[in-house]
This record gives sequence, structure tokens and C-alpha cells, in this order.
Amino acid sequence: MTEPSKEQDGKKTTLTTFNRVARYTLVRLITLFITVVIGVYLTVLIANMGGYVDEIRRGEIRETIQMRMLTDPTLRNLPADVRMKQMEEMIRLQEKYYGLDQPFVVRSVRFLKNALTLNLGRSLQLTSDSGSRQVRLILLERLPATLLLFGTADLVLFFLSLYLGLSLSRRYGSFWDKLTVALSPLSSAPGWFYGIFLIVLFAAVLKVLPFGGMVSIPPPDNPFLYALDLLYHMILPVMAITISSIFLSVYGNRTFFLIYSSEDYVEMAKAKGLKSRDVERRYILRPTLPTIITSFALLLIGLWTGAPIFETVFNWPGLGRTIYRAVGLFDTPVIVASTVIFAYLLAVTVFLLDFIYALVDPRVKVGGGQERAG
Amino acid sequence: MASTLLKIQDLVLHFSTMRGPVQAVDKVSFDLGHKQAVVILGESGCGKSSLAKAILRLLPRNVAEYKGSIVLDGIELMTLSDEEFRQNVRWVRISMVPQAAMNSLNPVLKVGDQVAEPMLVHHGVDKAAAMEQAKKMFEHVGVPVDFLHRYAFELSGGMRQRVAIAMALVTAPALIILDEPTSALDVLTQANIFNVLKRIKKELEISFILITHDIATSSELADRVAVMYAGQIVETGDAMDFFPAPLHPYSQKLMASVPRLHGNKELEFITGQPPSLLNPPTGCRFAPRCEKRFSRCDEEPPVFERDGRQVKCWLYA
Repeated sequence: MTEPSKEQDGKKTTLTTFNRVARYTLVRLITLFITVVIGVYLTVLIANMGGYVDEIRRGEIRETIQMRMLTDPTLRNLPADVRMKQMEEMIRLQEKYYGLDQPFVVRSVRFLKNALTLNLGRSLQLTSDSGSRQVRLILLERLPATLLLFGTADLVLFFLSLYLGLSLSRRYGSFWDKLTVALSPLSSAPGWFYGIFLIVLFAAVLKVLPFGGMVSIPPPDNPFLYALDLLYHMILPVMAITISSIFLSVYGNRTFFLIYSSEDYVEMAKAKGLKSRDVERRYILRPTLPTIITSFALLLIGLWTGAPIFETVFNWPGLGRTIYRAVGLFDTPVIVASTVIFAYLLAVTVFLLDFIYALVDPRVKVGGGQERAG
Repeated sequence: MASTLLKIQDLVLHFSTMRGPVQAVDKVSFDLGHKQAVVILGESGCGKSSLAKAILRLLPRNVAEYKGSIVLDGIELMTLSDEEFRQNVRWVRISMVPQAAMNSLNPVLKVGDQVAEPMLVHHGVDKAAAMEQAKKMFEHVGVPVDFLHRYAFELSGGMRQRVAIAMALVTAPALIILDEPTSALDVLTQANIFNVLKRIKKELEISFILITHDIATSSELADRVAVMYAGQIVETGDAMDFFPAPLHPYSQKLMASVPRLHGNKELEFITGQPPSLLNPPTGCRFAPRCEKRFSRCDEEPPVFERDGRQVKCWLYA
């Protein structure tokens, strides 16, 4: 390769970094969108039982109209053949009104399009706090609660397991190290499982923390007190998530740190006379970060998918509990819509983590690339 | 010989492993003058790299024994605390070029930053001055300066090794330990790197400890030679004396295994395996493979002086 002039060096590198990250981001966006489309379409198929729900609804319509024919005095007196014709016509109109005259394949594609554009329709049973049947309103009302709870828990979990993992890697083979390794199977149980014990212990027996919910009833008026009350209600759920994931997460991080601290460049950094704090930060933590972020991403996705039961246990008014209730009430539009929102949330999570990954690891690049020089 | 820079006496580094203690470095003594290069020759697994680590006090967790004396510029290094050692020795007086430069560069930091780093740590200069120094060193070892902004994975093996050399030179230490600096490279690149080293040696006030098994190329650089076998130094001497006529039977065998351009000499090899450092033979450690072995070899030989050369063999008693 030719040597570029020295003035361009810095600019060129910045530009390369930008190009690399931009390109990577774009490719990731497209792939994630395809993933979301597939996920949502599968949900549409499953929630409609592959079109069988349409059959059920056709049957329902026929039954309702037949009942009406029998009970309506003006229709009851008509001759049988006219009555039959009238009935078939009414069924046809009703089916057309619900769009059931079209084959399910066509309808499923329309469902998919509506779902993806967040045109989520009207619920069958559930209503929003303001009494609306708009699924979009119902879900958007719930979303912040879920984001708040899981966002907080994830941040706590990430930094705590990073810090603990690092300090355990320094004390390899110590009592605390062995204890963490021994306790890591605790992570095989989900957060709500520990949640139940925590509720029993702290709410029922010790009576120091609330059983569930997001704020006291009635909620405090003062915004500061409101925030405090919120925090107070978040202690148990965040604790439950943390307990269920922390041991495995710390164990994983500690192992990554140990593996990476035996790299030659760590020894070189020590030989260069760097302070052990700097060696740890720049030569152990920094190169390990991409690996840690990957494993954390997997953990996060696991947490998201556990939200329905978790929020139900803690009576947390979030998206997860809404799904749980919608399933109980056979409220298909809400089920599909919540799944869509979750699919988007997952995609956004993965995308953000991928983006951070690309930022922290210069080796990440998609398609094309720089030539090796020398 | 020029005034002494480094004097190592009875340096011992033993590791404890599941299978017992490993005597990686066992009572090693040699010395080195200012602006001199000593080549430490030996087979793989004879403790050469452990010797390098012992000098820089880069010890793994399982050290069983670490003692002896390392005097650099009249200062005893073994009595310094870890913090003093870090501040005053590492990269200030002694730096190192590692064996595999690929793995010795942090993959997520730009190589320029890594080369400049010791300046920031030890000389307290600002970032710009440190980068300027790194740039100078890049020019010195023949790496294009725009590579400062590259990552290790964007460089070829030879370039990485040059970067590693630039990194070792950046703080202008008195001594550089080169731990098989070319073993991972192809022959042409090896020759290139050796030319860089020769030029540096000529231009800078610097001493080398060159650890290698490459006898042919190292002979061009060496002022002194030390031959290492099974954790011990079996022979030391000036390169001028050593290469034409090595004294120790092991050294002789080693030299006989080097191909020569002229003459029809059959290449020799040494029968048997180098001994395990876990359980070295008692007496002379080379005795089991030595053709000149005789009854006294069951006892450990002391170091004998002959014409200003030291050799650890009963033949010279």
C-alpha cells in the first residue's frame, strides 16, 4: 500500500472508525429488522392458531345470527327459504365487516403490517387506565414501568458483576471466589422464584418492604416523595433479579478476567512498569469488555423474556403483567401487540449492545475491511 | 571487557507445580558490560524465558523460590520493594522485547498509545511529547509513522515485532532483554529485524540480553555468549572465543548442529531429550546425553575458569 501523508493520519483513522461503526450499525439494523418481522409473523400465526381462530369466529358469528333469527319476532314469521337467504346474507355481511371473507394468508400479512407499524387495533377485554380500548394506549401506558424496573436491575447487575468479577479475579482461589463458584447454580432458578421468598421474608415476616406494586396507594403528591416511594417499591424486585443472575454473572466475568489476564500483553504491561490499577483497567478490563458485553446481552434477553411472570409476582404494572392478563382473557390483539413490543424491545437491546460492542472492539467490522499492512 | 552494567549471581527461580518443583532457573550467574550484547543460547524449555522473567521480576503465582543477586549499575535489584522495582527498573533501566509480538500488543488499544505509554508512566511527560517520542522510535525501527494510529491486528508479524522493539526503546533504557525476538517470523523478516537490532546497537547506548536458539544469526550481534542447559548456565565467554571453539561438550554439540555453507560436514544432533526441569539429573545435568562422560560427572561440576572463559564441566578441572 502507499503511505498517506502524515497530516492525514489522524483524520483518516477517525474516518475509518466512523465508517466501520456506521457500516456495522446499518447491517445490524437490517438483520435485526428481519428478525423482528419473522418473530412478529410467527406470533401472528400462533396467536391465530394458524387461521383456526378465524374458523372459531365464523362459527360464533353464525351462531349469534341464528340465535337472533330465532328470537327476533319480525324475522321469525318469514317463510323458511326467505329466512335462510336473509340469514346467509347477514352472516356474509358480518364476516365482511370483520374481514373474515378474505383468506387467512392475506389477513395474516395485513396483521403483520399493522403490527409492525404499531397500528395495534382494539382490545377485546382489557382497557387502559383512562378506559380506552386502544391497544397502543394500553401498552404505552405500561411500557415505562417495565423499562424502569428492568433497566435499573440490568444496570445494577452489570456494574455489580463487573466489579465483583474483577475483584474475585484478583483473589483467585480465595474463600469468596470458591463461594461464588459454588453458589452459581442458584442462577438456574428465575427471578420470580427468589421474589416469592423475598416477599415472604421482607414483606410478610419482617414487614419492612411492600408486597408489590409500583407506588403506595394513594401515591404521594410531592414528586420527590413519589420518587422515593418508587425506589422503596423497587428494592425487592431489583433484589430478586440481582440474586437470580448475580452469581453466574460474577462467575462468568471472573473467569473471563482470569483468562484475559494470562494474555502476554498483560505481562508486557506489567513489564512496562504500569501501576497495577492501570494494568487492570487498560489491559485486562478493556480487552475483556467485548466478551463481557456479549454474555451480558444474552443475560438481558433472558431477563426480558421472564418479565410476564416476574411482574405478576411483584404486581408490577408493566408490560409483562399485561401479557399475563391478556393471555388469561384470550385477548388476542393485546397478546400480539405485547409480543410485538417485546420483539422491538429485544431488537433495540441487541442493537444497542451490538453498537457498544462495535465501539469497544476495533476488530469488529462487517463486510469489506482494511488491508493488513506491512 | 567494558565496565560492568549488569552482574547476575546465583539467580534462582523455582516454580511449584502439581507434579513437584520445577527448577527453571538454577544458580545462574553471568555479567554484561555497557554497550554489550550477551546471547543466551539454549534449546526450548531450558529456562531461557524464565531467566528473562526472573530479571524483570515478572513472576507467576506459583513461584516456589526466587533468590540470588542482580546488580544493575551498582544497585542491588533483589532488595528493592515491588513498588520501587516498578518505578525505577521496569522500562526505566530494563525493557523487554517479547517472543510473540502479536500477543504482546493489546488488541483494543492503538499501537502508538502502547508505545508512548511508558513515557507517560515513567517520564511524566504530556501525551503529545510521548507520542512524539513514539514517532521517533517508529522511524528508528523502520515502521511508517501513520501506523501509530493502527491496531495490532492491522499490522503484519514483522511490523508488530518492530513496534515491540520501538516500545522497548522508547524510554532509552540501559538494557533490553530480547526474548527470542524473531522465532515467530519468516527468515526474511528475521534478517530484517536483526539488521534493525544491529543498527540500534551501533547507534544507541544500549546493552542487549538476546535469548535465542538461533545460533547463526545471533552470532552477528553477540559480544558475549552464555549457553544454558536445563536451567543452568554451562558456559560463558566472549563471542570471539566461543564461536570458533566452544568448550563445553553441550556447546560443541550445539555448534555442530548449525549448517555451514562451506565444507561437507555432516550435521550432528544430540541424542536423547533435554532433561525435565521437574526432576533434573543429579551431578552434571548434561551427563546422560554426553559422549565425553566419565566417572566424575556423577558429581555436580563447579564453574572452571579457562582463558577468561567460564565452563561448568569436569573436563576442564
